Amino acid sequence: MNLDWSIVWEYRWAFLFGVMNTVLLAVVTMLVAIPGGIVIMLMRNSPVRALRGIATVYVETFRATPLILLVYWIFYVMPRFGVHLPPFLTGVVALSLIVSAYNSETFRAGVNSIRKGQSDAGLALGMSKWQLQVKVILPQALRRVLPAFSNTWVSLFKDTSLVSVIAVSELSYVSLQARAESFRIFEILTAMAAIYWCLGYPQAKLVDWLNRKYEVKE
Amino acid sequence: MSRMDHQRNAIGKPPIVTYNNVEKCYGDFTALNGVTAEVNRGEVVCLIGPSGSGKSTLLRCTNALEQINGGEIIFDGAPLPKGENNVRLVRRRMGMVFQSFELFPHMTAIENINCAPVTVLGMPKREAEELSYSLLKKVGLVEKAHSYPSMLSGGQQQRIAIARALAMGPEVMLFDEPTSALDPETVGEVLSVMSDLAGEGMTMIVVTHEMSFARRVSDWIMVFDKGRVIEEGRPDNIFKHPTEGRTKEFLRHVGVEV
Ligand SMILES: Nc1ncnc2c1ncn2[C@@H]1O[C@H](COP(=O)(O)OP(=O)(O)OP(=O)(O)O)[C@@H](O)[C@H]1O
Ligand SMILES: [Mg+2]
Repeated sequence: MNLDWSIVWEYRWAFLFGVMNTVLLAVVTMLVAIPGGIVIMLMRNSPVRALRGIATVYVETFRATPLILLVYWIFYVMPRFGVHLPPFLTGVVALSLIVSAYNSETFRAGVNSIRKGQSDAGLALGMSKWQLQVKVILPQALRRVLPAFSNTWVSLFKDTSLVSVIAVSELSYVSLQARAESFRIFEILTAMAAIYWCLGYPQAKLVDWLNRKYEVKE
Repeated sequence: MSRMDHQRNAIGKPPIVTYNNVEKCYGDFTALNGVTAEVNRGEVVCLIGPSGSGKSTLLRCTNALEQINGGEIIFDGAPLPKGENNVRLVRRRMGMVFQSFELFPHMTAIENINCAPVTVLGMPKREAEELSYSLLKKVGLVEKAHSYPSMLSGGQQQRIAIARALAMGPEVMLFDEPTSALDPETVGEVLSVMSDLAGEGMTMIVVTHEMSFARRVSDWIMVFDKGRVIEEGRPDNIFKHPTEGRTKEFLRHVGVEV
């Protein structure tokens, strides 16, 4: 096999564009899915039964739905109901729906894992409910959910590749395009793998470091 | 009863907490069934009695962690207020120590102590640190100021928890079985901090199974059974001459010869 790595350099701008879209897709999705997850978590812990019901149905539906099915559904079926979303937005909506469901479960586990004694202790010191959340409950809950949340982030980062099926120009899509044009399958796919790794590895290391730094010991 | 009341008044201190026919239900279970009692300023009052008799419930009602369903609790001349903001004003004036310590695990010992003065009272950080150090000295743990709770023994954690409660400058301290979760070898250090506190004149309401502590340190003992105070009196009277059959039964059960 004679290899021609210059092909990768030729496609550098395409790769860069793909990387930017991948990062943008993951970041925008998380920016939606963090508040989304918190809202759904609060609904599931709410004393109002209807809200709990809606949130439960939401979580059970979207946790069980394959992303690719949701992408196709929004892109090809929703237009029949008059909803036309461009590819990038379709990707954001599909990813956000699913990641919000995951986040809500992660956050819920974190908040519910804080013993009642901790709020008793804070209240007995004269804290308001707000001070209690900010000083006592949330700092502990956030530390507890950090590992699960980081896993969700790393999965999300890779899952963005699935929206290539509707021609969103993220890293997978541009790589596959480059491969189709150049027929240099080995070089292009290797480059693609290397780029995903270079993006993912520092994140995984950062996550490990955060987990060690903020670990809560009991 | 009047005989005992007479003896107690000889202490001559004004009441700080008064319970008037206090009732507390959980669903259709009655945890407090008409508790009438008084705690005077400067007194150490021990609540003893069998498991499930309502001792913890009374403490938790005292600082409004639980709402009562009937009767009233009067603190320093006024009934416990309704509404979060007013309740908070009262809670600041009472300290609480829990069986399971409940230190905040994400804060160091000193942060645990100065957290409430800073956030709740708005005390300047410097002043709060000085206060914290003096309290750490008091409980004998200055060298652990920057340790996290997970690095401390149970006895040390409980002493920090006492310091945390004292940092708010409480007028009454509520202790709910402060030594029940401790290894036997660390019980003594916590009881000694509590004895010192009593010696300084702190008003204390203590739920405890440490009968020797109750006998030695308390001014007054209340015996609980089935959500009521069935007998109360000076420690000598309660331990030597209990009048109620159920008191005798309880004391025998915890190994006190009567
Ligand atoms: N949150 C609650 N919900 C339902 N029942 C409760 C609750 N808290 C306490 N109880 C019940 O009220 C009764 C009195 O409880 P409490 O904790 O005051 O007893 P105690 O005298 O402190 O006993 P112990 O020595 O075991 O701590 C118990 O039967 C308990 O099961
Ligand atoms: Mg109890």
